Amino acid sequence: MAARAAAAADPARYHTMLPCPVHDERARQDFVGALRTHLASRIVPGHRIVYEKRVAPAIEARYGRAAADRFEVRAVMDQDPYYRFWSAMQRRSQELMWESVIDPVERCADALVSRYRRLAGRRRRRGSLRLDDALRVPRYHTAVDIHLQPGGYHTGFAADDVAAGAIYDRGLQIYSAGSTGPQNDAMGVLLVDYLRERDPAFEPRRILDLGCGIGNSTLPWALAFPRARVEGIDVAAPQLRYAHARAEALGVAVHFSQQNAEHTDLTDGSFDLVVSHIVLHETSRSALRQILRECHRLLRPDGWMLHLEIPRGKTPLEQFLMNWESWNNNETFADLITDIDLAAEASDAGFEPARTRCVDYARPRPASQRLYSDYGLWRVLEARR
Amino acid sequence: MAKKTKPLARPQTTRSAKPTPRRGEEPQVGEPPPRIARIAKGKKPVYFSDPAIDKLLWMTMTLMEELSVTRDRLDTVERLLESRRVLRRRDIESYVPRGAAERERSARRAAYVDRMMRAVEAELEEIAGTRRDAGAEDPVAAVSS
Repeated sequence: MAARAAAAADPARYHTMLPCPVHDERARQDFVGALRTHLASRIVPGHRIVYEKRVAPAIEARYGRAAADRFEVRAVMDQDPYYRFWSAMQRRSQELMWESVIDPVERCADALVSRYRRLAGRRRRRGSLRLDDALRVPRYHTAVDIHLQPGGYHTGFAADDVAAGAIYDRGLQIYSAGSTGPQNDAMGVLLVDYLRERDPAFEPRRILDLGCGIGNSTLPWALAFPRARVEGIDVAAPQLRYAHARAEALGVAVHFSQQNAEHTDLTDGSFDLVVSHIVLHETSRSALRQILRECHRLLRPDGWMLHLEIPRGKTPLEQFLMNWESWNNNETFADLITDIDLAAEASDAGFEPARTRCVDYARPRPASQRLYSDYGLWRVLEARR
Repeated sequence: MAKKTKPLARPQTTRSAKPTPRRGEEPQVGEPPPRIARIAKGKKPVYFSDPAIDKLLWMTMTLMEELSVTRDRLDTVERLLESRRVLRRRDIESYVPRGAAERERSARRAAYVDRMMRAVEAELEEIAGTRRDAGAEDPVAAVSS
């Protein structure tokens, strides 16, 4: 019991589907965490000074005016020694992060598959898992490995593999420097709070989470609305196996299935609430439109659609900084989505413009957990059917 | 207590001529090859005008990590030894090598600095004409007949 409590208090193994890192593995993860905290809290704020003192004057000299967009900022910033050195270090820190997480997962790879099989094979499960071997993983997943996670979300390295899920789970904790919460549930909790502020009386009975991955943002919905049936869909089988075992290990009922959010096999108007968490910017131009149409189809009248997104910045400098991940961390569509009016897209997908909006939603956050120009800001695309 | 804080035994030197692997260096039998990919798909950006700088930074940050890991491990060892009353950490702080230990350590440190500074000194030797490879024969000619 004491061991279980200790494990619960340790973010590196807050449930049994995470491998317990040995000494040096943990020390590597701790180093990456310290390095990234330093980069975010001490080096990144310098970009504004560099911009003001060196880059803005250079842009002024070149164009005779201030920068018009992030691309003009990029042309000069990419050559700036301070920014460039940070950029190279940030990229390497991301690679080191995955390496530090992969080591223990690799060491425990077989044990994790066994644990998944045991949890998924239990007769008295709270939730369920439905995989589709025939599903084609979309090109926006396979073209490059998103976030530099080797193999991306979708690659299985063995039969019944769950490695990509375990790697993502621990990686997200380190990446976010803890801002996603010890159980990586902060984004789900945030969107639950948002909904409760918008519509305190709303009691959804069927909830769908699109692009749920390891289910870290799905579980908060099941916990917030215990009477609801919560479903999570994703294209990546290793993530879903892991998500199912993880939810069972944490004792939360979620029904996972392997599906493309662009065209699911779920019934018209069968959901009261459809949500996603930092998913849209990892899709594509056509997928975004199709996913919003699919949300419209799946919602019953008066049902809510909520997509949590990362703000793309307002000024050219902010937009440039926010898009570091797009250009250096394989988040290719994030650059394009910067110029897309999400509320207009939702209207085009069938939602009434008067019942659709895209807003910034602020949550205060310590300096060590800020990324780029993100002062604890989130963006929510909401629409009511 | 005092008895337990005696200096540890000197490291053993291998006198046997038999090329037996040391403990921990035995070839691993039955260890499966790594199966999880280590390299992300996608073009890697080049950050500096000379790609060698990218590589050097890559190596430096890897070394930064391993040094941090080693310091953490040393800290763990010291704390465990102290908690098991093998030594006190303040004994480490006040330790000053004497006699043979001092001479061995100084020699090793100097050799380490020599090795590191070799890259810099090579340039000076070149100017002075004392570089060992200065008058080297054409190696291809030397093996062609």
